[in-house]
Amino acid sequence: MSGLARLGAFAHNTFREAVRDKLLYNLLLFAGLMIASSVVLAKLHVGYDERIYRDVGLAAIALFGTLIAIFVGINLLHREISLHTVYSMLAKPVQRYEFLLGKYLGLVGLLAVEISIMASFFLAVLWIKGSPPTAGLGWAIQLIFLELALVTAIAIFFSSFTTPYLAGMFTLALWIIGHLLGDIRAFGLQDGAEAYKPLTEFLYWCLPNLDRLDIKAEAADGKVIELARVGLSSLYAVLYSAALLVAGSFLFSRRDFR
Amino acid sequence: MSVIQARGLRKVFRTGFLMRTVEPVRGVDLDVREGEIFGFIGPNGAGKTTTIKMLTGLILPSSGEATIHGVPVPLPESRRGLGFMPEGTYFHDYLTGREFLDFHGRLLGVPRAMRERSIPELLQKVGLPHAGDLRIRRYSKGMRQRIGLAQALLGDPDLLILDEPMSGLDPIGRKDVRELILQLRDAGKTIFFTSHILADAELLCDQVAIILKGQIAHHGYLGELLGQEIEGVDLVVEQIDEALYERLKQEARRAVVQGTRYLFELPDEAHAEKALKLVLEAGGRVRSLSPRRRSLEDLLVSDLQADSATARSEGEVER
Ligand SMILES: Nc1ncnc2c1ncn2[C@@H]1O[C@H](COP(=O)(O)OP(=O)(O)O)[C@@H](O)[C@H]1O
Ligand SMILES: [Mg+2]
Repeated sequence: MSGLARLGAFAHNTFREAVRDKLLYNLLLFAGLMIASSVVLAKLHVGYDERIYRDVGLAAIALFGTLIAIFVGINLLHREISLHTVYSMLAKPVQRYEFLLGKYLGLVGLLAVEISIMASFFLAVLWIKGSPPTAGLGWAIQLIFLELALVTAIAIFFSSFTTPYLAGMFTLALWIIGHLLGDIRAFGLQDGAEAYKPLTEFLYWCLPNLDRLDIKAEAADGKVIELARVGLSSLYAVLYSAALLVAGSFLFSRRDFR
Repeated sequence: MSVIQARGLRKVFRTGFLMRTVEPVRGVDLDVREGEIFGFIGPNGAGKTTTIKMLTGLILPSSGEATIHGVPVPLPESRRGLGFMPEGTYFHDYLTGREFLDFHGRLLGVPRAMRERSIPELLQKVGLPHAGDLRIRRYSKGMRQRIGLAQALLGDPDLLILDEPMSGLDPIGRKDVRELILQLRDAGKTIFFTSHILADAELLCDQVAIILKGQIAHHGYLGELLGQEIEGVDLVVEQIDEALYERLKQEARRAVVQGTRYLFELPDEAHAEKALKLVLEAGGRVRSLSPRRRSLEDLLVSDLQADSATARSEGEVER
């Protein structure tokens, strides 16, 4: 019970630190501008209005969410270590994993609030333009949230044992590769590429498959999205995040705070 | 029973691109007993902070072991009943003093009602009664040091580990901290603190350990370490003539002329008595007469001299 209370205290403090940081508001402002720009873009492509509102809106939510997840996430953990604020916290009868998980939960809470703000803005644009929201858009936003939670887990995992610069690079690299995994697998399955198949299959099954969580294009097209697929993808994101946090906690517990 | 016990604590760091090894702590033994003020004294870079980080579980020892309240370090349970103030003043500066203490109180599991009661008291105790609602970002160095102390006192721990609690403070601040430490001892708490300033230890400590280059050079009660015998007597006089000056100089180990005053360092009480008589008979004026005891400073200086002497002779062997 007291472990949960400490987790809550860490999460609350992380959230509080983030909302007192100006960077966050700047990113949110840009996200708002990008969503609003869809109105102008739609004027340039007459006849595709709906598709453009949805495309640009979802893309803005995903892009700025990712920026916040990677940069705010890594920065907040790194600051605790480099500014030595961990000393007074971790020299208390707390487990180090409580700190790491609390940090993670605080960040995920932050993402939830941010995505809600951006999504409300997006819905407002759709409503003003008379374009009805669909269930698919809702699922797409849910999967964006889970993708960001997974990206945050990746960032926390790398930050648990390496420098913030490297953690940022690794996270960014996995984010890019994670979105290309579908293509990478398809490459290995081609005729004449048999030699690469073991490698591409290995990457496909082991690396975080962010491609799977990306249904933005289909949702923007207005296609019907199966519930089972959303459920399975969500489960995948949650389990993968949990595994990364367990591994990160293990590495973090052995770390020296010099 | 020892509140803190350490045996053979050692830490090896690998640093830089070439992974050079440095060994800031080389086998440290400590026994801090309940209810005493223990000074962990040594020059900068001697390994004090590294030792404390091992005791508080922030870094893992390369070898050796330690217990706090009988619980092996670094189990979280070993940090129960321990208040720690880290070196420097690195706290969450986006929080107000009150929020900061509330957050740390939550980490300790202090119930809300108790936090609401004890935080204003603590702010008062460390001399920040009006700064509770100010962000720590706006605090001066001395105020940060004080909020750090308040943080260590949360939850009423019976052991305090304070890393350089007096550094960076003005004379009033130092005196406040000294008084607070004595007050805590009187309330039955055990205090383990580090300092690179020997005078701090002489004023406060029951027991001291002097650490040099990662090893304990002296460890014991202040009285035992320094001895009770006097090392000499300093006599300061005025209004003496040339002849008497020359005469007194023969008695003294050293004589110094300071304007109209003369300082004689006399080797013992017998010499001092003789000199005093001579001065009074000749109608001179005695300004002061003070016995000189061995100080921690002398102890440390003689250690450091021995150390550099060995370093020199080792250098010669190499050549
Ligand atoms: N993370 C580290 N990496 C390499 N060397 C270190 C590290 N931390 C401390 N040292 C070295 O260890 C020695 C002891 O440092 P420290 O324990 O901070 O001394 P003190 O607290 O007594 O001033 C210093 O010479 C310092 O340079
Ligand atoms: Mg130090």
